Amino acid sequence: MKLGVVIGVVWATKKVKEINGCRMYIVQPISSKGEKKEIPLVVADPQNIAASGDKVIYVTSSDATEAFDSGFAPVNASIVELVDEIS
Amino acid sequence: MFLARVEKKITSTKKHNAYNGRIVFIVQPILPDGTSNGNEWVAIDYVGAGIGDIVVCGGAPGVSKSVFNLKFAPIRTLIMAVVDKINYHDI
Repeated sequence: MKLGVVIGVVWATKKVKEINGCRMYIVQPISSKGEKKEIPLVVADPQNIAASGDKVIYVTSSDATEAFDSGFAPVNASIVELVDEIS
Repeated sequence: MFLARVEKKITSTKKHNAYNGRIVFIVQPILPDGTSNGNEWVAIDYVGAGIGDIVVCGGAPGVSKSVFNLKFAPIRTLIMAVVDKINYHDI
């Protein structure tokens, strides 16, 4: 899992049926101090956890599909947690 | 698997069900001599690590599902061991 900030929303009407009703965000990976790391990526939000500007934890690779209630979706990055505080 | 230092703890209320009751840490990958190497990872504690500990992190798709005995577990990185001592030498 990695830390990131939601910097944008992706809208798509025509998509595979497994991700219908699931929002997609553009997430900028950051360090715990808030510095930018790597390039932004598109991340699905199956549990409706995040909103624009939020600091989130996202999971990549095939574990991302596990964040869906159905357990299967053709994605490789999903938001799993909204960060309240880093201490 | 990789060596890492536990740096910070993350608190959160809104999360996926699989994360309920689990401790989430930010870990910094390190080289055997203790210098930082690469970007930070977020990892779930499985052994009882604390901030400042040197740990072994890792995971593979599907491992956390069987480790935590859950139907669905979107968890990739686990803290698998707390390191007491490292013995190493350059090639």
